Amino acid sequence: MRFLDLLRSTFSNLRRRKLRSFLTIFAVVIGASLVSLLISLGIGTKDFLTAQIKATIPPDVVIVAFNPKAFDIGIGGPGFGGSPREVSDDEGSPFTFRPLTLENIEAVEALEHVKQIDPYVMLEAESVKLQGSDRSFRTEIRAMPQYQVEDTELVAGRHLTEESQRECIIANQYVDSFGLEQPGDALGQEVIVRVRQWTSWIGLPSETEDYEFTIVGVTEKTLISTQVIISIEEGKEISRFWADNPDWYTDKIPPAILQVKTEGSQYTDQVARAVEDLGLGAITSKDVLGLVGTIFIIIQAVLSAFGLIALGVASLGIINTLIMAIHERTREIGVMKAVGASRSTIRLLFTIEGVIIGFLGGAIGVGIGYALGLAINRISHATFLKDFQTFNISAFPWWLIVGVIALSTIIALVATLYPAHRASRLDPIEALRYE
Amino acid sequence: MIELHDVWRLYRMGGETINALAGIDLKVSQGEFVTIVGPSGSGKSTLLNIIGGLDSPTMGRIEVDGQDLSKASDRELSLYRNKQVGFIFQTFNLQPTYTALENVSLPLVFAKVPLWKRKRIAREVMETVELSDRLRHKPNQLSGGERQRVAIARALVNDPKILLADEPTGNLDSKTGEQIMELLTRLNKEREITFLLVTHDLKTAGYADRMLRMHDGQIAETVDRRQVL
Repeated sequence: MRFLDLLRSTFSNLRRRKLRSFLTIFAVVIGASLVSLLISLGIGTKDFLTAQIKATIPPDVVIVAFNPKAFDIGIGGPGFGGSPREVSDDEGSPFTFRPLTLENIEAVEALEHVKQIDPYVMLEAESVKLQGSDRSFRTEIRAMPQYQVEDTELVAGRHLTEESQRECIIANQYVDSFGLEQPGDALGQEVIVRVRQWTSWIGLPSETEDYEFTIVGVTEKTLISTQVIISIEEGKEISRFWADNPDWYTDKIPPAILQVKTEGSQYTDQVARAVEDLGLGAITSKDVLGLVGTIFIIIQAVLSAFGLIALGVASLGIINTLIMAIHERTREIGVMKAVGASRSTIRLLFTIEGVIIGFLGGAIGVGIGYALGLAINRISHATFLKDFQTFNISAFPWWLIVGVIALSTIIALVATLYPAHRASRLDPIEALRYE
Repeated sequence: MIELHDVWRLYRMGGETINALAGIDLKVSQGEFVTIVGPSGSGKSTLLNIIGGLDSPTMGRIEVDGQDLSKASDRELSLYRNKQVGFIFQTFNLQPTYTALENVSLPLVFAKVPLWKRKRIAREVMETVELSDRLRHKPNQLSGGERQRVAIARALVNDPKILLADEPTGNLDSKTGEQIMELLTRLNKEREITFLLVTHDLKTAGYADRMLRMHDGQIAETVDRRQVL
């Protein structure tokens, strides 16, 4: 039997029982649209988080700490289900940092492909408020090297400059919190950042100090919604007060964490390995993304399971439809055999019918999933993601489209195995007598 | 042409074994018209099905044109049914959703003949059975005689060497039955098709060169009309 005739016969059979064919295909459509939509939501969300992580640790940056295990916080690490790891006497506790030595810093600086090193300034501010207002807000002060400041996307104002004195860039979300109409209104206004010494963390007496900054820029909306960006030098100054130690970030007490900029993101891994070879700890955006990736694979697997169950149920529908079709077409099968159809031809006829059901269901399902994804993107952009217009919560890469159609087709193919076999084994003499 | 040597066909029904065919020896030569008569259950249809490659003997050997059907694979048997044999049934067995032309084309589909060629061949055969004006009709729009002629056209479409008919006039009135028998006789003569026909009706059996009477799975009597005359 020619392939074209197989298809012709299949479509004519599907047309003959329109409602039943529609219902069978519809079950596959539900499964396929569920699988594709849920996976697309996972992909979109992951893309978004990935972009946010890249904003925290740029792709060409290696973060360096004294403790080689400082960043060992992945799954299976301390307290995440792994067996207790043996430690050396000088390793410290997992979240302990200790100052790098000047030799360490020089060694890192001397590494190939290292362009610039800066301390990663640790500090904690209690609150921020607009000058003259009595409403204070939570804040996260980020003291950044100039190159990282310049990579931050702004919606209003300008970046800090090398000459900046007491200038800052605020997160977009403060515009609302400060009661301003639009980002431009924040420019030129003064904010007061209140810092309380770290001893308060453990309940010891502590002092506070207020620092005044002029707002020169407002960032795009990101997940880091409480950040206030200041220059690295001013960050060090605040940090010394916060830590109550005037020698911090000087040659006497070098920083505990370095932010190392490489000559380009293609060198990041190489520099990170070289840093580890020096006996220091290193982490890159890729490492963090790996951890996020693992979590998302688990979330996606759980989500897709629902769709897969639906596809599984749909495959029962295909089996049922084909078995009914065998009963209805028993005589026809007998005639086909009498006029020259072999067992394998009959088997192929039923297999193709199931496969077409799976393929059509998969294709229509992905189409519906895609349309629902677009609708979700539209609705979300109009409501809760108003400020993230570039972020699509549902993303449909080509492999998802191809993959879901292929999956539905394969599941349908498996479902046809038994009915097709049964049809092919019909005794033609019995079949011709069948009423 | 067709040779059966000690052919047995046994069925198990419940706990009982039924000898549908019990040691049949038969030779049919090319172009011969043979009718098989006998009571129900005498093995007439089983004999026809075995010669047509729809059934296989439990024991014994059947050869058609030197091809041993008892040893043929499913693929070989289906090819044999497609190219060498045409079946005509009492109940016509037409596909109700197909037009007359599509019904006639069905064996060509399995012979991998392309659509345009199928239409041409099927039209020609429809002309032979004098149904050129019924090509687009569905079976339920045709009379009994017309339906059987469509079925005959289907059996002829691949130009087979053997035609097998199981009670072809059983569902027709006597006048139509006669017309069908005249058509079959004409085809047998014109095309030199070997023709085996199962019937209850002695009048129908009278068209044949040779008549076999079956009883309990055996050929009880052979009447050769050519010798009688």
